[in-house]
Amino acid sequence: MLMTSEAIPPGARPKISGRARLQTDKVTGKPVLLYPEGVLLLNPTGHAIVRLCSGEATLQEIVDNLASRYNMPRVEIASEVAEYLERLRARNLLELAPQASK
Amino acid sequence: MPSPAPRPFSLLAEVTHRCPLHCPYCSNPTELARPDTELQTADWTRVLREAADLGVLHAGFSGGEPLQRLDLSELIAAARAAGLFTNLITSALGLNLQRAQDLKKAGLDSVQISFQSDLSPAADAIAGISAHARKLEAAQLVRELGFPLTINVVLHRGNIDRVERIIGLAEGLGAERLELANTQYYGWAFGNRAALLPSRDQVEQAAQSALAAKKRLHGKMEILFVIPDYFSERPKPCMNGWGNRFLTVNPAGAVLPCPTAGEIKGMRFENIRERSLAWIWNESESFNRFRGTDWMPEPCRSCEFREIDFGGCRCQAALLVGDASLTDPVCKFSPNRPIIDRVLAAQGSSGEGLVPRQNKFSPLPR
Repeated sequence: MLMTSEAIPPGARPKISGRARLQTDKVTGKPVLLYPEGVLLLNPTGHAIVRLCSGEATLQEIVDNLASRYNMPRVEIASEVAEYLERLRARNLLELAPQASK
Repeated sequence: MPSPAPRPFSLLAEVTHRCPLHCPYCSNPTELARPDTELQTADWTRVLREAADLGVLHAGFSGGEPLQRLDLSELIAAARAAGLFTNLITSALGLNLQRAQDLKKAGLDSVQISFQSDLSPAADAIAGISAHARKLEAAQLVRELGFPLTINVVLHRGNIDRVERIIGLAEGLGAERLELANTQYYGWAFGNRAALLPSRDQVEQAAQSALAAKKRLHGKMEILFVIPDYFSERPKPCMNGWGNRFLTVNPAGAVLPCPTAGEIKGMRFENIRERSLAWIWNESESFNRFRGTDWMPEPCRSCEFREIDFGGCRCQAALLVGDASLTDPVCKFSPNRPIIDRVLAAQGSSGEGLVPRQNKFSPLPR
Protein backbone atom coordinates (compact mmCIF):
# COMPACT_ATOMS: atom_id res chain seq x y z
CA MET A 1 0.00 0.00 0.00
CA LEU A 2 1.08 3.52 -0.73
CA MET A 3 1.85 5.10 2.63
CA THR A 4 3.18 8.46 1.69
CA SER A 5 0.66 10.63 3.46
CA GLU A 6 0.69 11.56 7.10
CA ALA A 7 -1.57 9.86 9.62
CA ILE A 8 -5.02 11.33 9.96
CA PRO A 9 -5.08 13.56 13.07
CA PRO A 10 -7.49 12.45 15.84
CA GLY A 11 -9.36 15.76 15.63
CA ALA A 12 -10.08 15.48 11.90
CA ARG A 13 -13.64 14.79 10.81
CA PRO A 14 -13.52 12.16 8.08
CA LYS A 15 -16.29 12.19 5.53
CA ILE A 16 -16.99 9.75 2.73
CA SER A 17 -16.48 11.55 -0.55
CA GLY A 18 -19.48 12.69 -2.56
CA ARG A 19 -18.13 10.59 -5.44
CA ALA A 20 -19.06 7.42 -3.58
CA ARG A 21 -22.47 5.92 -2.90
CA LEU A 22 -23.37 3.47 -0.17
CA GLN A 23 -26.07 1.02 -1.11
CA THR A 24 -27.30 -2.49 -0.52
CA ASP A 25 -26.16 -5.14 -2.94
CA LYS A 26 -29.09 -6.78 -4.71
CA VAL A 27 -27.38 -10.16 -4.89
CA THR A 28 -25.96 -10.55 -1.37
CA GLY A 29 -28.07 -8.08 0.58
CA LYS A 30 -24.82 -6.72 2.02
CA PRO A 31 -23.61 -3.11 1.99
CA VAL A 32 -21.38 -1.94 -0.88
CA LEU A 33 -19.62 1.36 -1.44
CA LEU A 34 -19.72 2.26 -5.12
CA TYR A 35 -17.45 4.87 -6.69
CA PRO A 36 -16.12 5.66 -10.16
CA GLU A 37 -14.43 2.54 -11.54
CA GLY A 38 -14.62 0.66 -8.28
CA VAL A 39 -16.52 -0.97 -5.47
CA LEU A 40 -15.79 -1.93 -1.89
CA LEU A 41 -17.75 -4.86 -0.54
CA LEU A 42 -18.11 -3.87 3.08
CA ASN A 43 -17.80 -6.26 5.99
CA PRO A 44 -19.64 -5.31 9.20
CA THR A 45 -16.63 -3.41 10.56
CA GLY A 46 -16.13 -1.56 7.30
CA HIS A 47 -19.80 -0.72 7.15
CA ALA A 48 -19.76 0.62 10.71
CA ILE A 49 -16.72 2.78 9.94
CA VAL A 50 -18.14 4.11 6.68
CA ARG A 51 -21.43 5.02 8.31
CA LEU A 52 -19.65 7.03 10.99
CA CYS A 53 -17.63 8.98 8.41
CA SER A 54 -20.26 11.66 7.93
CA GLY A 55 -18.02 14.67 8.47
CA GLU A 56 -19.55 15.28 11.89
CA ALA A 57 -17.68 12.96 14.22
CA THR A 58 -13.94 13.33 14.78
CA LEU A 59 -11.64 10.37 14.26
CA GLN A 60 -11.30 10.17 18.02
CA GLU A 61 -15.07 10.05 18.48
CA ILE A 62 -15.42 7.39 15.79
CA VAL A 63 -12.89 5.20 17.58
CA ASP A 64 -14.59 5.77 20.95
CA ASN A 65 -17.96 4.92 19.46
CA LEU A 66 -16.74 1.64 17.93
CA ALA A 67 -14.70 0.65 20.97
CA SER A 68 -17.73 0.89 23.19
CA ARG A 69 -20.09 -0.67 20.65
CA TYR A 70 -17.91 -3.72 20.09
CA ASN A 71 -16.50 -3.72 23.62
CA MET A 72 -12.97 -3.93 22.31
CA PRO A 73 -9.70 -2.32 23.41
CA ARG A 74 -9.48 1.20 22.07
CA VAL A 75 -5.98 0.73 20.68
CA GLU A 76 -7.08 -2.24 18.60
CA ILE A 77 -10.03 -0.39 17.15
CA ALA A 78 -7.88 2.66 16.50
CA SER A 79 -5.45 0.75 14.35
CA GLU A 80 -8.22 -1.00 12.47
CA VAL A 81 -9.97 2.30 11.76
CA ALA A 82 -6.71 3.95 10.71
CA GLU A 83 -5.98 1.14 8.30
CA TYR A 84 -9.46 1.26 6.86
CA LEU A 85 -9.44 5.01 6.42
CA GLU A 86 -6.09 4.78 4.68
CA ARG A 87 -7.62 2.33 2.21
CA LEU A 88 -10.40 4.81 1.54
CA ARG A 89 -7.94 7.66 1.23
CA ALA A 90 -5.82 5.71 -1.24
CA ARG A 91 -8.92 5.51 -3.44
CA ASN A 92 -9.59 9.20 -2.96
CA LEU A 93 -12.83 8.41 -1.17
CA LEU A 94 -12.22 10.39 1.98
CA GLU A 95 -12.63 14.06 2.66
CA LEU A 96 -10.98 15.39 5.78
CA ALA A 97 -12.84 18.30 7.25
CA PRO A 98 -10.60 20.60 9.30
CA GLN A 99 -9.99 19.77 12.93
CA ALA A 100 -12.47 20.92 15.45
CA SER A 101 -11.80 24.37 16.78
CA LYS A 102 -11.56 24.34 20.51
CA MET B 1 -20.12 -29.42 -16.56
CA PRO B 2 -18.15 -26.26 -15.93
CA SER B 3 -18.53 -24.61 -12.54
CA PRO B 4 -21.25 -21.96 -12.32
CA ALA B 5 -20.48 -18.64 -13.96
CA PRO B 6 -18.99 -15.97 -11.71
CA ARG B 7 -20.84 -12.77 -11.02
CA PRO B 8 -20.40 -9.87 -13.42
CA PHE B 9 -19.65 -6.51 -11.80
CA SER B 10 -19.44 -4.15 -14.70
CA LEU B 11 -21.32 -3.47 -17.92
CA LEU B 12 -19.98 -1.37 -20.75
CA ALA B 13 -22.93 -0.06 -22.72
CA GLU B 14 -21.67 1.00 -26.14
CA VAL B 15 -24.75 2.86 -27.13
CA THR B 16 -23.56 4.03 -30.55
CA HIS B 17 -20.52 3.94 -32.80
CA ARG B 18 -21.27 7.41 -34.12
CA CYS B 19 -18.50 9.81 -33.14
CA PRO B 20 -17.40 13.26 -34.24
CA LEU B 21 -13.72 12.55 -33.51
CA HIS B 22 -11.19 10.84 -35.75
CA CYS B 23 -8.60 9.58 -33.27
CA PRO B 24 -6.07 7.34 -35.03
CA TYR B 25 -5.80 5.19 -31.87
CA CYS B 26 -9.49 4.26 -31.90
CA SER B 27 -9.79 0.65 -30.79
CA ASN B 28 -13.31 0.23 -32.08
CA PRO B 29 -13.62 -2.22 -34.96
CA THR B 30 -12.71 -1.06 -38.44
CA GLU B 31 -16.27 -1.97 -39.41
CA LEU B 32 -18.64 0.07 -37.24
CA ALA B 33 -22.25 -0.64 -36.35
CA ARG B 34 -24.61 1.22 -38.65
CA PRO B 35 -26.92 3.70 -36.91
CA ASP B 36 -30.00 1.86 -38.16
CA THR B 37 -28.88 -1.31 -36.34
CA GLU B 38 -28.62 0.43 -32.95
CA LEU B 39 -30.64 -0.87 -30.03
CA GLN B 40 -33.72 1.14 -29.13
CA THR B 41 -34.38 2.82 -25.79
CA ALA B 42 -36.59 -0.06 -24.61
CA ASP B 43 -33.89 -2.63 -25.48
CA TRP B 44 -31.31 -0.77 -23.41
CA THR B 45 -33.71 -0.32 -20.52
CA ARG B 46 -34.18 -4.07 -20.42
CA VAL B 47 -30.45 -4.77 -20.73
CA LEU B 48 -29.69 -2.44 -17.83
CA ARG B 49 -32.31 -4.03 -15.61
CA GLU B 50 -31.18 -7.54 -16.48
CA ALA B 51 -27.57 -6.58 -15.85
CA ALA B 52 -28.40 -5.29 -12.38
CA ASP B 53 -30.33 -8.48 -11.63
CA LEU B 54 -27.26 -10.50 -12.61
CA GLY B 55 -25.16 -8.62 -10.07
CA VAL B 56 -23.68 -5.84 -12.17
CA LEU B 57 -22.97 -2.71 -10.09
CA HIS B 58 -21.39 -0.39 -12.64
CA ALA B 59 -22.69 0.76 -16.00
CA GLY B 60 -20.35 2.72 -18.24
CA PHE B 61 -21.99 4.51 -21.15
CA SER B 62 -19.60 4.65 -24.02
CA GLY B 63 -19.39 4.46 -27.79
CA GLY B 64 -18.55 6.06 -30.13
CA GLU B 65 -19.79 9.20 -28.54
CA PRO B 66 -22.71 8.35 -26.24
CA LEU B 67 -24.01 11.93 -26.37
CA GLN B 68 -24.98 11.21 -29.95
CA ARG B 69 -27.89 9.27 -28.46
CA LEU B 70 -30.65 11.75 -27.76
CA ASP B 71 -32.22 9.28 -25.31
CA LEU B 72 -29.07 9.13 -23.18
CA SER B 73 -30.70 10.73 -20.14
CA GLU B 74 -33.47 8.16 -20.31
CA LEU B 75 -30.92 5.36 -20.38
CA ILE B 76 -29.05 6.84 -17.41
CA ALA B 77 -32.32 7.13 -15.48
CA ALA B 78 -33.11 3.50 -16.26
CA ALA B 79 -29.68 2.44 -15.03
CA ARG B 80 -30.10 4.40 -11.81
CA ALA B 81 -33.55 2.96 -11.28
CA ALA B 82 -31.97 -0.48 -11.52
CA GLY B 83 -29.46 0.50 -8.81
CA LEU B 84 -26.42 0.85 -11.07
CA PHE B 85 -23.59 3.31 -10.56
CA THR B 86 -23.45 5.23 -13.83
CA ASN B 87 -20.44 6.65 -15.62
CA LEU B 88 -20.52 8.66 -18.83
CA ILE B 89 -17.44 7.99 -20.96
CA THR B 90 -17.38 10.86 -23.40
CA SER B 91 -15.34 13.07 -25.70
CA ALA B 92 -17.51 15.86 -24.20
CA LEU B 93 -18.49 17.07 -27.66
CA GLY B 94 -22.15 17.86 -27.34
CA LEU B 95 -22.02 18.27 -23.57
CA ASN B 96 -23.63 21.67 -23.20
CA LEU B 97 -25.29 23.08 -20.09
CA GLN B 98 -28.75 21.79 -20.98
CA ARG B 99 -27.61 18.23 -21.55
CA ALA B 100 -25.36 18.21 -18.52
CA GLN B 101 -28.26 19.34 -16.35
CA ASP B 102 -30.54 16.72 -17.89
CA LEU B 103 -27.97 14.03 -17.13
CA LYS B 104 -27.63 15.29 -13.57
CA LYS B 105 -31.37 15.14 -13.13
CA ALA B 106 -31.42 11.63 -14.56
CA GLY B 107 -29.01 10.57 -11.80
CA LEU B 108 -25.70 10.30 -13.63
CA ASP B 109 -23.02 9.52 -11.02
CA SER B 110 -19.75 10.38 -12.73
CA VAL B 111 -18.20 11.65 -15.93
CA GLN B 112 -15.07 10.63 -17.77
CA ILE B 113 -13.79 13.01 -20.43
CA SER B 114 -11.12 12.11 -22.95
CA PHE B 115 -8.36 14.53 -23.85
CA GLN B 116 -5.90 14.01 -26.66
CA SER B 117 -3.11 16.11 -25.16
CA ASP B 118 -2.61 19.11 -22.89
CA LEU B 119 -2.71 21.84 -25.54
CA SER B 120 -5.13 22.56 -28.34
CA PRO B 121 -3.12 22.46 -31.57
CA ALA B 122 -1.54 19.11 -30.79
CA ALA B 123 -4.71 17.70 -29.23
CA ASP B 124 -6.90 18.83 -32.11
CA ALA B 125 -4.48 17.37 -34.63
CA ILE B 126 -4.97 13.97 -32.98
CA ALA B 127 -8.75 14.34 -32.66
CA GLY B 128 -8.99 15.46 -36.29
CA ILE B 129 -11.43 18.16 -35.24
CA SER B 130 -11.36 21.32 -33.18
CA ALA B 131 -12.25 19.79 -29.84
CA HIS B 132 -9.80 20.74 -27.10
CA ALA B 133 -11.29 24.10 -26.15
CA ARG B 134 -14.78 22.60 -26.04
CA LYS B 135 -13.54 19.81 -23.80
CA LEU B 136 -12.04 22.34 -21.38
CA GLU B 137 -15.38 24.14 -21.20
CA ALA B 138 -17.28 20.89 -20.70
CA ALA B 139 -14.90 19.72 -17.98
CA GLN B 140 -15.51 22.94 -16.09
CA LEU B 141 -19.24 22.50 -16.49
CA VAL B 142 -19.00 18.97 -15.16
CA ARG B 143 -17.19 20.20 -12.05
CA GLU B 144 -19.63 23.05 -11.54
CA LEU B 145 -22.51 20.61 -11.54
CA GLY B 146 -20.72 18.55 -8.91
CA PHE B 147 -19.96 15.42 -10.92
CA PRO B 148 -16.83 13.49 -10.03
CA LEU B 149 -14.52 13.89 -13.02
CA THR B 150 -12.12 11.41 -14.54
CA ILE B 151 -9.80 12.49 -17.32
CA ASN B 152 -8.68 9.82 -19.75
CA VAL B 153 -5.79 10.35 -22.10
CA VAL B 154 -4.75 7.67 -24.55
CA LEU B 155 -0.97 7.76 -24.83
CA HIS B 156 1.15 7.09 -27.89
CA ARG B 157 4.43 8.19 -29.39
CA GLY B 158 3.11 11.64 -30.24
CA ASN B 159 1.92 12.68 -26.76
CA ILE B 160 3.58 10.40 -24.22
CA ASP B 161 6.43 12.86 -23.61
CA ARG B 162 3.87 15.34 -22.34
CA VAL B 163 2.67 13.22 -19.43
CA GLU B 164 3.74 15.74 -16.79
CA ARG B 165 1.87 18.53 -18.50
CA ILE B 166 -1.14 16.27 -18.99
CA ILE B 167 -1.12 15.55 -15.26
CA GLY B 168 -1.02 19.30 -14.69
CA LEU B 169 -4.02 19.76 -16.94
CA ALA B 170 -6.04 17.15 -15.05
CA GLU B 171 -5.09 18.74 -11.73
CA GLY B 172 -6.06 22.16 -12.99
CA LEU B 173 -9.45 20.85 -14.08
CA GLY B 174 -10.10 19.43 -10.61
CA ALA B 175 -10.22 15.83 -11.82
CA GLU B 176 -10.36 13.21 -9.11
CA ARG B 177 -8.97 10.52 -11.31
CA LEU B 178 -6.63 10.46 -14.28
CA GLU B 179 -6.24 7.51 -16.58
CA LEU B 180 -3.05 7.51 -18.61
CA ALA B 181 -3.85 4.64 -20.90
CA ASN B 182 -1.34 3.60 -23.49
CA THR B 183 -2.86 2.71 -26.83
CA GLN B 184 -4.23 -0.79 -27.15
CA TYR B 185 -3.52 -2.14 -30.61
CA TYR B 186 -6.90 -3.39 -31.71
CA GLY B 187 -9.44 -2.30 -34.29
CA TRP B 188 -8.52 0.89 -36.10
CA ALA B 189 -5.44 1.45 -33.92
CA PHE B 190 -3.87 -1.78 -35.13
CA GLY B 191 -3.37 -0.33 -38.60
CA ASN B 192 -1.59 2.66 -37.07
CA ARG B 193 0.59 0.63 -34.75
CA ALA B 194 3.94 1.48 -36.33
CA ALA B 195 3.25 5.18 -36.02
CA LEU B 196 1.70 5.04 -32.54
CA LEU B 197 4.08 2.75 -30.67
CA PRO B 198 6.36 4.73 -28.35
CA SER B 199 9.97 3.82 -27.65
CA ARG B 200 10.97 1.98 -24.51
CA ASP B 201 12.71 5.10 -23.22
CA GLN B 202 9.56 7.12 -23.68
CA VAL B 203 7.50 4.55 -21.80
CA GLU B 204 9.95 4.39 -18.91
CA GLN B 205 10.15 8.14 -18.63
CA ALA B 206 6.37 8.48 -18.62
CA ALA B 207 5.96 5.70 -16.07
CA GLN B 208 8.39 7.50 -13.74
CA SER B 209 6.56 10.79 -14.11
CA ALA B 210 3.26 9.10 -13.40
CA LEU B 211 4.64 7.35 -10.33
CA ALA B 212 6.07 10.58 -8.91
CA ALA B 213 2.77 12.38 -9.47
CA LYS B 214 0.86 9.52 -7.93
CA LYS B 215 2.81 9.96 -4.70
CA ARG B 216 2.54 13.71 -4.76
CA LEU B 217 -1.22 13.64 -5.36
CA HIS B 218 -2.06 10.75 -3.05
CA GLY B 219 -5.55 11.26 -1.66
CA LYS B 220 -6.27 14.13 -4.08
CA MET B 221 -6.17 12.69 -7.57
CA GLU B 222 -5.95 9.01 -8.33
CA ILE B 223 -3.61 8.25 -11.22
CA LEU B 224 -3.75 5.09 -13.24
CA PHE B 225 -0.90 4.44 -15.66
CA VAL B 226 -1.48 1.53 -18.01
CA ILE B 227 1.75 0.42 -19.63
CA PRO B 228 1.69 -0.72 -23.23
CA ASP B 229 1.65 -4.47 -22.87
CA TYR B 230 4.15 -5.00 -25.71
CA PHE B 231 6.83 -3.67 -23.35
CA SER B 232 5.87 -6.04 -20.61
CA GLU B 233 7.11 -9.60 -20.13
CA ARG B 234 3.83 -10.81 -18.83
CA PRO B 235 0.46 -10.30 -20.46
CA LYS B 236 -2.22 -8.04 -19.05
CA PRO B 237 -4.89 -9.89 -17.06
CA CYS B 238 -7.33 -8.96 -19.77
CA MET B 239 -10.79 -8.11 -18.38
CA ASN B 240 -9.70 -10.04 -15.29
CA GLY B 241 -10.52 -13.16 -17.22
CA TRP B 242 -12.96 -13.89 -20.01
CA GLY B 243 -16.56 -13.82 -18.80
CA ASN B 244 -15.39 -13.25 -15.24
CA ARG B 245 -16.23 -9.68 -14.20
CA PHE B 246 -17.09 -7.65 -17.30
CA LEU B 247 -19.44 -7.61 -20.19
CA THR B 248 -19.95 -5.28 -23.09
CA VAL B 249 -23.09 -4.78 -25.10
CA ASN B 250 -22.29 -3.20 -28.45
CA PRO B 251 -24.52 -0.73 -30.33
CA ALA B 252 -26.22 -3.50 -32.31
CA GLY B 253 -26.92 -5.63 -29.24
CA ALA B 254 -24.14 -8.21 -29.43
CA VAL B 255 -22.99 -9.23 -25.97
CA LEU B 256 -19.22 -9.47 -25.71
CA PRO B 257 -16.76 -10.45 -22.98
CA CYS B 258 -14.69 -7.39 -23.92
CA PRO B 259 -15.14 -4.42 -26.25
CA THR B 260 -12.96 -5.88 -29.01
CA ALA B 261 -13.95 -9.55 -28.90
CA GLY B 262 -16.35 -9.07 -31.78
CA GLU B 263 -13.30 -8.93 -34.05
CA ILE B 264 -12.24 -12.51 -33.29
CA LYS B 265 -12.72 -14.42 -36.48
CA GLY B 266 -14.79 -17.57 -36.29
CA MET B 267 -16.54 -16.65 -33.04
CA ARG B 268 -20.24 -15.97 -32.86
CA PHE B 269 -21.68 -13.76 -30.16
CA GLU B 270 -25.27 -13.80 -28.98
CA ASN B 271 -27.53 -10.81 -29.34
CA ILE B 272 -29.66 -9.27 -26.64
CA ARG B 273 -32.53 -9.11 -29.12
CA GLU B 274 -32.71 -12.90 -29.14
CA ARG B 275 -31.67 -14.00 -25.66
CA SER B 276 -31.74 -12.78 -22.09
CA LEU B 277 -28.56 -11.31 -20.69
CA ALA B 278 -28.54 -13.96 -17.95
CA TRP B 279 -28.64 -16.78 -20.49
CA ILE B 280 -25.87 -15.22 -22.54
CA TRP B 281 -23.68 -14.65 -19.49
CA ASN B 282 -24.29 -18.04 -17.91
CA GLU B 283 -24.97 -20.45 -20.73
CA SER B 284 -23.72 -19.17 -24.07
CA GLU B 285 -20.91 -20.93 -25.83
CA SER B 286 -19.12 -17.64 -26.45
CA PHE B 287 -18.95 -16.66 -22.78
CA ASN B 288 -17.94 -20.15 -21.68
CA ARG B 289 -15.36 -20.63 -24.41
CA PHE B 290 -12.44 -19.08 -22.48
CA ARG B 291 -13.89 -18.92 -19.01
CA GLY B 292 -11.79 -20.21 -16.10
CA THR B 293 -8.64 -22.21 -16.85
CA ASP B 294 -9.87 -25.45 -18.46
CA TRP B 295 -9.56 -24.10 -22.00
CA MET B 296 -5.90 -23.25 -21.59
CA PRO B 297 -3.17 -24.77 -23.71
CA GLU B 298 0.45 -24.98 -22.59
CA PRO B 299 2.38 -23.01 -21.51
CA CYS B 300 -0.61 -21.49 -19.65
CA ARG B 301 -2.12 -24.72 -18.39
CA SER B 302 0.71 -25.53 -16.01
CA CYS B 303 1.78 -21.94 -15.41
CA GLU B 304 1.86 -20.57 -11.88
CA PHE B 305 0.41 -17.28 -13.16
CA ARG B 306 -2.61 -18.81 -14.87
CA GLU B 307 -5.05 -17.44 -12.31
CA ILE B 308 -3.29 -14.09 -12.21
CA ASP B 309 -3.18 -13.10 -15.87
CA PHE B 310 -5.64 -15.67 -17.31
CA GLY B 311 -3.47 -16.32 -20.35
CA GLY B 312 -3.61 -12.65 -21.31
CA CYS B 313 -5.78 -11.31 -24.06
CA ARG B 314 -7.75 -13.58 -26.39
CA CYS B 315 -8.18 -10.81 -28.95
CA GLN B 316 -4.43 -10.27 -29.10
CA ALA B 317 -3.77 -13.98 -29.60
CA ALA B 318 -6.34 -14.01 -32.39
CA LEU B 319 -5.02 -10.84 -34.00
CA LEU B 320 -1.30 -11.56 -33.84
CA VAL B 321 -1.08 -15.36 -33.87
CA GLY B 322 -4.32 -16.17 -35.65
CA ASP B 323 -5.74 -18.35 -32.89
CA ALA B 324 -7.68 -16.94 -29.93
CA SER B 325 -7.08 -20.07 -27.85
CA LEU B 326 -3.31 -19.63 -27.66
CA THR B 327 -1.24 -17.83 -25.04
CA ASP B 328 -1.12 -14.07 -25.52
CA PRO B 329 2.10 -13.54 -27.54
CA VAL B 330 3.13 -10.74 -25.17
CA CYS B 331 3.93 -13.39 -22.56
CA LYS B 332 7.62 -14.26 -22.34
CA PHE B 333 6.65 -17.93 -22.03
CA SER B 334 4.74 -17.86 -25.31
CA PRO B 335 6.54 -19.47 -28.25
CA ASN B 336 5.14 -16.56 -30.27
CA ARG B 337 6.81 -13.80 -28.25
CA PRO B 338 9.20 -13.15 -31.19
CA ILE B 339 6.21 -11.65 -33.05
CA ILE B 340 6.16 -8.85 -30.46
CA ASP B 341 9.92 -8.51 -30.33
CA ARG B 342 10.05 -8.05 -34.08
CA VAL B 343 7.50 -5.25 -33.87
CA LEU B 344 9.52 -3.54 -31.14
CA ALA B 345 12.78 -3.95 -33.06
CA ALA B 346 11.30 -2.51 -36.26
CA GLN B 347 10.03 0.47 -34.34
CA GLY B 348 11.92 3.73 -34.30
CA SER B 349 10.82 5.49 -37.43
CA SER B 350 8.99 8.80 -37.20
CA GLY B 351 5.41 9.19 -36.03
CA GLU B 352 4.21 10.06 -39.51
CA GLY B 353 1.74 8.03 -41.48
CA LEU B 354 -1.09 8.07 -38.94
CA VAL B 355 -4.41 7.37 -40.61
CA PRO B 356 -7.24 9.27 -38.88
CA ARG B 357 -10.23 7.21 -37.83
CA GLN B 358 -12.81 7.22 -40.55
CA ASN B 359 -16.43 7.14 -39.56
CA LYS B 360 -18.79 7.17 -42.47
CA PHE B 361 -21.83 7.61 -40.24
CA SER B 362 -21.86 11.34 -40.00
CA PRO B 363 -22.72 12.36 -36.46
CA LEU B 364 -25.66 14.53 -35.59
CA PRO B 365 -24.95 18.24 -35.47
CA ARG B 366 -23.76 19.64 -32.19
